Amino acid sequence: MISFAIYALTIIAIWSVMAISLNIQFGMTGLVNFGQILPFAIGAYAVGIGIEAGIPWWAGILAGLVAAPLVGLLVILPARRQSQDYWALITLGAGELFRLTMLNVPSIAGGADGVTISRLGDRNLALGLAVGLLVVAYLVGQRISRGPLGRMLRVIREDEVLAATLGRNPMAYRMKVTVVTWAMAAAAGILFGYVVGYIAPTSFLVTDTFLVWTAVILGGPGRNIGVVIGAAILILLSVSTRFMAEWSGLPSDLVANLRLAVFGLVLVLMFLFRPQGLFPETREVRDVDGR
Amino acid sequence: MLTVAEVSVAFGGFQALKDASLTVGAGEIVGLVGPNGSGKSTLLNVIAGVHVPKSGRVELDGRPLPLGSIAGVAARGLGRTFQVPRLAQRLTVFDNMMAGAGNQPGERLFDLFLRPGTVAEAEKANEARAVAILKRLDLLHKANGIAGALSGGQQKLLTMGVLLMADPKILLLDEPAAGVNPVLIDQQVAFLKLLRDEGRSILIVEHNMEMISSVCDRVYVLDAGSMIATGTPAEIRANDDVIRSYLGQPA
Ligand SMILES: Nc1ncnc2c1ncn2[C@@H]1O[C@H](COP(=O)(O)OP(=O)(O)OP(=O)(O)O)[C@@H](O)[C@H]1O
Ligand SMILES: [Mg+2]
Repeated sequence: MISFAIYALTIIAIWSVMAISLNIQFGMTGLVNFGQILPFAIGAYAVGIGIEAGIPWWAGILAGLVAAPLVGLLVILPARRQSQDYWALITLGAGELFRLTMLNVPSIAGGADGVTISRLGDRNLALGLAVGLLVVAYLVGQRISRGPLGRMLRVIREDEVLAATLGRNPMAYRMKVTVVTWAMAAAAGILFGYVVGYIAPTSFLVTDTFLVWTAVILGGPGRNIGVVIGAAILILLSVSTRFMAEWSGLPSDLVANLRLAVFGLVLVLMFLFRPQGLFPETREVRDVDGR
Repeated sequence: MLTVAEVSVAFGGFQALKDASLTVGAGEIVGLVGPNGSGKSTLLNVIAGVHVPKSGRVELDGRPLPLGSIAGVAARGLGRTFQVPRLAQRLTVFDNMMAGAGNQPGERLFDLFLRPGTVAEAEKANEARAVAILKRLDLLHKANGIAGALSGGQQKLLTMGVLLMADPKILLLDEPAAGVNPVLIDQQVAFLKLLRDEGRSILIVEHNMEMISSVCDRVYVLDAGSMIATGTPAEIRANDDVIRSYLGQPA
């Protein structure tokens, strides 16, 4: 039971990092990234491919952290003059393209069989690393959110013509956000690979992107602590459905689909009754009367 | 300082501007008047990089402005307001003001994470300016409220404040007096003169002829996309063509 709790906390921390990454993109900047799983997958696969190729472990990690933001820039560049609908489609497509390539070209990373990574044997160490990564991601997210950059990102989210009128190039800001958040998601993916010890295309589905989106919408777009809590709730819900499957004797893929239906329901309810999320974005209150 | 020469704009088959020209000198306040739909906002939009004209030139300080690049034009020191106020609705009044300031170190990743001192210093300086401007606009008591909750007139004033945070050399104002109460209009007139005395140039689109007369050095009249007259406010009021096309029109 203790070992399961440690594992669950590790997974919660990893997906919380994903939620913070998406929060900076969507919650603060208004970027509709439906391919949030892509940088995560790139991080994990960089480690896997690195092991297959026999390069040192740190080189694989470094490759993942560098490759994900670069791919991010490549993906969003064609979307620079387009609306957010187009942005959503192109990121969704890019994520699937990557997964299908890994699935169908076994020479890269084992195809459907995937790659085995020497997994972190010490579960406490894994938890420590995951929590450490979450703390770093949270501090980065807060520094952006509370500072002048976050302020301008929100102006871009509200009205990009206004941002341009103030002399800012909205695309340059989106590129900054993409570099930071895709590297963050890649770090989560790298750790995920080492924790699970095995990487295959089935680990990086559109439904995983869906989980991160649900966490952000549930927790509160624009609020870092909110989306972390959102991720924690959903991961706990997820793992408990797994217990439910064992206990109820229902087939596990039925339960997995039920879990998706529950996420969908959470989304609909939030949109209808609490679009600002459980923990709404805060506004800095300044003491201006004293002056 | 600002030169617009023979600018033509077409929306589909509709000719919104026909060879329209105007100049705004350094430290000058120039008015642009004309009936509804005559092309005033369209002309401001061409100057500000929103629309690309079919033909014509737009120059600031003798150098062409980047046509169709809103951010590029702003970077040259041109600030503008919109006929319908544009604000970051869900941000506070104060954050809207702070966003107006240009060249902020805290928007660069390197400075944000590695030079917190520089960022804090710039923030402090901008905060002091924001407070001073909000005071002048009588909006300081709203500083912590969201911009979207301001009244229409207050939103107009706030867009003006955001513009001033950017410290532009030349301001294009689209109907700054519409929906603003007469007392505040008088304050605005005084305010615009103050800005002019600081060396800024201003181009104002406005239907309120009283405001135009009290603040403008020169006035242009646009009718159906063509400039039909230019002169001092008094000359314009006396011009027959203008009376026929515009002033004579029942309001
Ligand atoms: N983006 C656009 N697409 C199509 N037609 C447009 C567009 N913008 C303006 N127009 C047309 O161009 C003409 C001039 O519009 P403009 O907004 O410049 O008028 P205006 O002089 O500012 O009028 P008002 O005093 O009512 O603000 C109008 O007939 C308008 O319908
Ligand atoms: Mg207009």
